Amino acid sequence: MVNNIRQKLESGLGAAGDGIYRHPWVALLVIVIFFIMMASGLKNLTIDTSTEGFLHADDPTLLTYFDFRDQYGRDEMLQLTIVSDNIFSDQVMSKIKNLHNEIKHNVPHLNDVTSLINARNTTGNKGALIVDDLIADDAWPQTLEDWQRIKTVAIANPIYKNLLLSEDGTITTIAIKTNAYSDGEEQSSDALLEGGDELFSEESGVDGAVVEERLPLSDKENGELVKAISDIVQHYQSDDFKIYLAGGPVVTATLKNAMTTNMKRFVVTAIATIALILFVLFRRVSGVVLPLLTVVLSVLSTVGLMGHLGIPIKLPTQILPSFLLAVGVGASVHLLAIFYRRLQHNSSPEYPRGDARDAIAYATSHSGLAILMTSITTAAGLASFAGSGVAPVSDLGYIAASGVMISFVFVIFMTPILVSIFSIQSTIDYSHDGEHNKDSWIDDALVWIASFSIHNSGKIIVVSVLILIFSFIGVSQVRFSHEPYKWLPEDEPSRIATEFVNEHMKGASSAEIVIDTGRENGLYDPKVMQGISQLGKELETIQYKDLYVGKTLSLADTLKEINKALNENKNEYYSVPNDRKLIAQEFLLFENSGSDDLEDMVDSQFQQSRFTIKMPWGDSVNYDVFVAKIEDKFNSILGDDVTVTVTGMAVLLGETVVLAMKSMADGYLIAATIITFMMIILLGNIRMGLFSMIPNLTPIIFILGLMGWFDLRLDLFTMLIGSIAIGLAVDDTIHFMHNYRRYYKEYGDLERAVKETLLSTGRAMLVTSIVLSTGFYLYMFSTLNILFNFGLLTGTAIVVALLSDFFLAPAMLQQLHKYNLIKSHDEY
Amino acid sequence: MNRLSKNIIAGMSLLIISLPLVAVELTARQIMDKVDARAEGNNKVSDMTMTLIDKRGSRRVRSIRSYTKNRGEDEMRAMFFLSPADVKNTAFLTYEYGDNRDDDQWLYLPALRKSKRIAASDKSGSFMGSDFNYSDMTTPDLNKYSYKILKQMDVRGSKTWVIESTPKNQAEIDETGYKKGMIFVRQDNFMVVRGIRWVADSKEMKYLDIPQIKQIDGIWVALKMTMTTKKGKSTLHKTELKFENNRFNQDLNESMFTVRQIEKGL
Repeated sequence: MVNNIRQKLESGLGAAGDGIYRHPWVALLVIVIFFIMMASGLKNLTIDTSTEGFLHADDPTLLTYFDFRDQYGRDEMLQLTIVSDNIFSDQVMSKIKNLHNEIKHNVPHLNDVTSLINARNTTGNKGALIVDDLIADDAWPQTLEDWQRIKTVAIANPIYKNLLLSEDGTITTIAIKTNAYSDGEEQSSDALLEGGDELFSEESGVDGAVVEERLPLSDKENGELVKAISDIVQHYQSDDFKIYLAGGPVVTATLKNAMTTNMKRFVVTAIATIALILFVLFRRVSGVVLPLLTVVLSVLSTVGLMGHLGIPIKLPTQILPSFLLAVGVGASVHLLAIFYRRLQHNSSPEYPRGDARDAIAYATSHSGLAILMTSITTAAGLASFAGSGVAPVSDLGYIAASGVMISFVFVIFMTPILVSIFSIQSTIDYSHDGEHNKDSWIDDALVWIASFSIHNSGKIIVVSVLILIFSFIGVSQVRFSHEPYKWLPEDEPSRIATEFVNEHMKGASSAEIVIDTGRENGLYDPKVMQGISQLGKELETIQYKDLYVGKTLSLADTLKEINKALNENKNEYYSVPNDRKLIAQEFLLFENSGSDDLEDMVDSQFQQSRFTIKMPWGDSVNYDVFVAKIEDKFNSILGDDVTVTVTGMAVLLGETVVLAMKSMADGYLIAATIITFMMIILLGNIRMGLFSMIPNLTPIIFILGLMGWFDLRLDLFTMLIGSIAIGLAVDDTIHFMHNYRRYYKEYGDLERAVKETLLSTGRAMLVTSIVLSTGFYLYMFSTLNILFNFGLLTGTAIVVALLSDFFLAPAMLQQLHKYNLIKSHDEY
Repeated sequence: MNRLSKNIIAGMSLLIISLPLVAVELTARQIMDKVDARAEGNNKVSDMTMTLIDKRGSRRVRSIRSYTKNRGEDEMRAMFFLSPADVKNTAFLTYEYGDNRDDDQWLYLPALRKSKRIAASDKSGSFMGSDFNYSDMTTPDLNKYSYKILKQMDVRGSKTWVIESTPKNQAEIDETGYKKGMIFVRQDNFMVVRGIRWVADSKEMKYLDIPQIKQIDGIWVALKMTMTTKKGKSTLHKTELKFENNRFNQDLNESMFTVRQIEKGL
């Protein structure tokens, strides 16, 4: 039955190739319309390198985070950290003031700027309570004593510590909070008046209902903000006024820039390299132009599809265009190799042009099915990630799988169209006699490989088993890692800045805890506030690996600050009062003192409040445990009366890792299962299907083992290697087994069959493997060092897959025959 | 008189009556002067309910009794919280000076049994956590702004001038927190019935609406006003103020407006 279907498919594909060849313009019209429809999505394409972009839009962790952001704004801040010998001096502080004001007035998408200039300074004396800026506008210090006094106040302030000022007073930070949502256009008076009563109508959402869904700050807007700040910073940067610009938004923007540079670079170098390899292989222009045109069109269509579906390009999906280029070329090469071969064969001195129509029908009928099969297996390997909880990995699964199939369609259509339109001819020059095959040394090598693997099958298997054992030991050592800022080169300023802040200001990352009392004014409860205050002290003991709580910031800190100021600045009053009414009244007082700072810390009902934990930006793989420890502490101190929710940047990163590890395990299992199943169907035999998986899985186990031995971490990119490699490795195996079976039936001799297989299809396998591995090795030239490992390892996996089909597969067949594990020819 | 001459006289009279309206076209500044000069009454007692509504629609209600008395150019105000219970009897005393001096403000916290003078140097800070800031609650110095009439519009059936106000310098912007404003002044009584404000260094806008006004003892009084903070078309927060039991010319002694008196409570 399988054979029947196979024959039908083959003849169908042959007929299609013939039909397209005879009506190239009609086919071209169809494919052009298809292309325009797909590629029109390109204009909707967006980029998203944000931390939250790693999670699916409906991920519960993300929804919790959005809730938080809706209430309190964006938690990821820019930290503009300044190192100077004498911060508290007229000269340096004037500079900070100018920098502060320039940023405040000239940077778009800004929510708030806080520095020593405008830091809240709450003080009290017998009669008065003063809530003012640390350095009040109308009271700029004039004398050294004034500066010294300010310095003493600043260093003593517990809220400033490690947030605005390092403990020793030599490093200060300007904290920049960005908008959480897109600004929209500012409306002019005239535009507003056009609207008339509409603006004031109750229906337009005045009564609390938000009419319009607010769009989160886009990557583009974030980039504009970071650019504007960087430009300003450049003017102030000097040796005695060293500025580091750190924080999530900066890393996001830098990653985005690196990614755009990379994508252009990858696409250009991939095209150039592929063109070169194709020229060396085919030695004719059509052999370069046809495959390239085909794959470029399919890549544009696929990326257009992303635009149509509203899927932004994210960090992991940046590999998509160049990846599809390499994979798509493989299919085209297989078809063209057969076509050219047939064309040369059916040419004759009487008819030197050759019969292109016959050749294309032959090629589509004989290779079409194999290309379809290999496309499906590659797509299946990629699609195994479609269910991933990591959004861009799942996108990559869907889109790359669709891309491979789109590529197949383009190869099957475009090749006959172009062959027909450009009247491709045989290149055999019949005016001279002589050797046509200039590459006979490759054939010699292939013949040698065939005979070597057959005659040394035992040794090859022993060596393979040894390699596998060593690999397995390595596999057990493989660790996961996710540290996006370390993807940047070591000398990249935002990475240096992040590391500097990590080291000197107790951390460049943060976690946010929302404490919900479940009732209006629940935060006036002295027990709750005292609990929050106690947490501030006790959390600083929590540590896990390189993670620790660097600083905490809560509503209790503000309350203690007011309480102290109301009690003549006496230190013993830096505490939470034990009186509900007093707490309520102190907050009321604070709300009325000209400071809007409560908005950022508490909801207007005083029901829930935010608790910020400053922590190092470490490896996200440890965040999960660290966050759990924090959560435990909150629950044990605050009890069951309140609900505690941990969120923020660190939690998003931690969740990304958890989901990535899970999706990797799932993905590998799904890919291996589906592909095994396909091999069984394809070979029509369970035992052969299972055996064929050994040369398929070997490269993956080898690569993972290598990672273990050399302590290369699994990350969002390298975790993909297995599924990508298995999908590609199996292509070689399919071609090998497909041909081997045919030749074995024909000659009934194993060695002869292997030789013929390598000579015919082995050559194409060699070429496509070179194209593919080169395609992946090109990632090693990325500006993001995370792609270096990915490129190196995937490229190597492809090479190992080829070696294992050239050596291990024939050796295995030999041994299977030897021990009569293949009982009859019918088993194929 | 025949019919024609009657008509002529009638026509002439109409013309003469309407002449002042045509001739005395008020400038924006003149309108603002009239707004500024409008009688606001003295010795006033009223109950204010402040409702804070966040973007999720949650409400928080406070009620406050306030006493206001003028002393020359200065205005004295004492405010007592009636509810919620946690802040009952908390009191504010404010002196707003007619000259350029900063306001004086004292606060009495019953739980602490202490009064404190609060030094608030700028007026851009929120008034009691509401969408109103202090500058919204006080009359601006007209000389610090330039005014322009944009158009005339009907608001709830009454003719208004729409006047744009632009601060003349950065100091005023820093002080009030607004870079531009637009107000709707009713032509019959010079009451401001609507306003739009552009928040400085932000894309936020504030919309003031005064949907209910009433003449009490000959003085126009707002009975309800809302201030809505928006960004684009999305509402971020809203405050609603309702004024009840508005009475003027009450027997208010200057001694009521002392720290000692607010400590005693109502």
